[in-house]
Amino acid sequence: MSVSRREFLKLAGSSAGALAMLSRMGALPPVLAQDATTITFGGWGGVAEDEGVKAAIEVFQAENPDVNVVWQHTPSASEYSRVTLTNIAAGTAPDTSFIRSDDYTTLAAGGVLQDITDLVKNDSLLGQENYFIEPQESNRCEVNGRWYGIGSTWVAHHIYYNAELFDEAGITPPGFQDDEIWEWDEFLAICNQLTKDSNGRHPDDAGFDREDIVQWAVDWATSWWMPLAAAVHSNGGEFINEEGLCALDSPEAMEAMQRLADLVHVHHVAPRGASIESLGMNNTQMINAGRLAMGVDGSWALSWMNPSLLDVQMGTGALPKMVKPASLMQAHFHSILSSTQHPEAAWRWLRFLATPFYQEHFAKIGLWIPNQSSMLTEEGLKGWVREGIHPENYSQFATDYLPKHGVAGYLPPGWIEARNDFITPAFEALTNGEQAADVFPNAVRQANEVLMFARDDM
Amino acid sequence: MSLVDGSLWLTQQYNRLSLKRRRTLMGYVFITPFILGFVFWFLVPAVVAAYLTLQRWNLISPPRFVGMYNFNRMLNDPLLLQSLKVTVLFSAISVPLGLVFAFFLASLINNKFRGIAVFRTIYFLPSIVPAVANAILWAWLFNTEFGLINFVIRALGGPKIGWLQDPNWVMVAFVILTVWGVGGSMIIFLAGLQGIPKIYYEAAEIDGAGRWQRLLNVTLPMMSPIIFFNLVIGFINSFQIFVSALLITNGGPQNSTLFLVLYIYRTAFGSQKMGYAAVLSWLLFAILMILSFFVFRYIGSRVYYENPDE
Repeated sequence: MSVSRREFLKLAGSSAGALAMLSRMGALPPVLAQDATTITFGGWGGVAEDEGVKAAIEVFQAENPDVNVVWQHTPSASEYSRVTLTNIAAGTAPDTSFIRSDDYTTLAAGGVLQDITDLVKNDSLLGQENYFIEPQESNRCEVNGRWYGIGSTWVAHHIYYNAELFDEAGITPPGFQDDEIWEWDEFLAICNQLTKDSNGRHPDDAGFDREDIVQWAVDWATSWWMPLAAAVHSNGGEFINEEGLCALDSPEAMEAMQRLADLVHVHHVAPRGASIESLGMNNTQMINAGRLAMGVDGSWALSWMNPSLLDVQMGTGALPKMVKPASLMQAHFHSILSSTQHPEAAWRWLRFLATPFYQEHFAKIGLWIPNQSSMLTEEGLKGWVREGIHPENYSQFATDYLPKHGVAGYLPPGWIEARNDFITPAFEALTNGEQAADVFPNAVRQANEVLMFARDDM
Repeated sequence: MSLVDGSLWLTQQYNRLSLKRRRTLMGYVFITPFILGFVFWFLVPAVVAAYLTLQRWNLISPPRFVGMYNFNRMLNDPLLLQSLKVTVLFSAISVPLGLVFAFFLASLINNKFRGIAVFRTIYFLPSIVPAVANAILWAWLFNTEFGLINFVIRALGGPKIGWLQDPNWVMVAFVILTVWGVGGSMIIFLAGLQGIPKIYYEAAEIDGAGRWQRLLNVTLPMMSPIIFFNLVIGFINSFQIFVSALLITNGGPQNSTLFLVLYIYRTAFGSQKMGYAAVLSWLLFAILMILSFFVFRYIGSRVYYENPDE
């Protein structure tokens, strides 16, 4: 069939017109979901998070046929922050969203997040006394006494250990009960025993070659705030004080941080450059290869560092204590953005995210630890504790240790700038072998100038 | 009027134009992509950035006028000084080194023997590796405990170097990974080398010039416009180093790789200070303008052009 040029143009024109008509029809509400309200939900995460949210949306929509939730997914959390900021600036923010704990107070104070205090307090379920683990939940959610989001979950640092190396050395590994938590000096002595050079010598043996260590006792990162803050609070210090200022220049805080750095530089029981990111072989692989006895890592790491995925016998236990047991707890928030046109539907979705179904999904794979009291009862534990993922004593971490010793992390407005410009460089100096007392007074002073400025600016 | 009628009408109008006008019109059509890109990705952002220099804007609340506040901040910012210091240092080391290395490689592959195309490809390949892949690759190579580079150094009896953790070594690491990607300048040098007429070398040889004299008196003068071009582009690129710094060290350790563009990015999207970030962007622009001016004035005047009138 031959087509003349004119015929071709006519054909092209009419099909373009038909396409335009179709696309307009597409903009009309779909016939099936009658008058459904569509809300957007922004967030980040790997495959597990992505699948979990999709599953939650399916269940939610089945229960709420009048609401469509559209999931806007970005793989990286830090990238998501920037995407959200630019979307807020452009007036295209999502209706509901993950909010990073470091962005939360800044966005709440800036009026971007909807005040949901009354919705939470008056809710028949969420408003019940001790629905959440308290006082930690209020500590993190309240900005000037008001709630602008609900914590998604809790995560906190603890020890992952290679049980075979402990057996070999005849040492009892740590647990989560108070009498199973090591004193700091006890921990140091055990670290010494668990570190070996290629001749089998320990760091306090004569002739120990620290350039030739084949088995390290511990990996406790000093390059970012969570693992450091756990030690600081354990030593009676504070990461952020009540006034919302950085308190890492207190003697207790500096002593705690110095102790962690000394594990590498003085005691030679921890590998250098030991942050998860900078090691070519990460702590999981090192534990699995028998080159590391203990890794201090976030509870989320249980989703890949668990009995069913490791070749060696492994277990979990609490961090050693300095003055008192402590681990820093935090996680991202779920919030409604104040620019939403559908506050009612947005609240129903947000509320759904704070019910057991959504958390169970992630808790089951070892990624999350519930922040809802009902999930910590004997009955509740059955919903998420899984053999092969959670070591035998793991539920004690959630039911006993965290409610008693967990400190909810709070990061004040201006924190991102203070951290990037002054606190992270100070952590790096510490990691590189500089003394905490030489670095932190100055860094904290500069960081607090930023924080005070941000606070006065709100 | 339907689409078909519309296009017919346009065609008729076009056919009525004189040949000269048609050519002019076509010229504009062809440069439209550039013009649009220039307007939307340069002119509009530059104007907005100029406006923002006088505002405080955190992307959350509307911008508000603060006069010279952002400029005053610049005068008392230890991190700006730090970022300028590391950027200038990086530029001063990596640009000359990159030029010499690219020139050296270009001379090597400016020979004719079997398989030369393979060598040319091999040396050029690194420059087309995407920036992100490049950054990840080098982060692995430089890894202190398990990286290939330290593995080799230690096998030869050397010390374990904290390439990305030690503030004194990290700049060396960045220079190495930058110089590794000189394939682009190398190709430009190669084109230049091949454009030098053989007769000059023959004449020099007859006059008794050795290898070294031929390089100094024939190759370098003939290549000077190309060296100059690579120098200017090299400076501009080195001042804009960003992706590798963001991905490998994110400015660390201890701000020793806090290059200016990374600091601008962090000020804008981390600290949410768009106004101050705009001031820093204009500062970068001013630095590059002034630098280019001096380079053209003092180095450009020494460049030899064979046909200066063309």
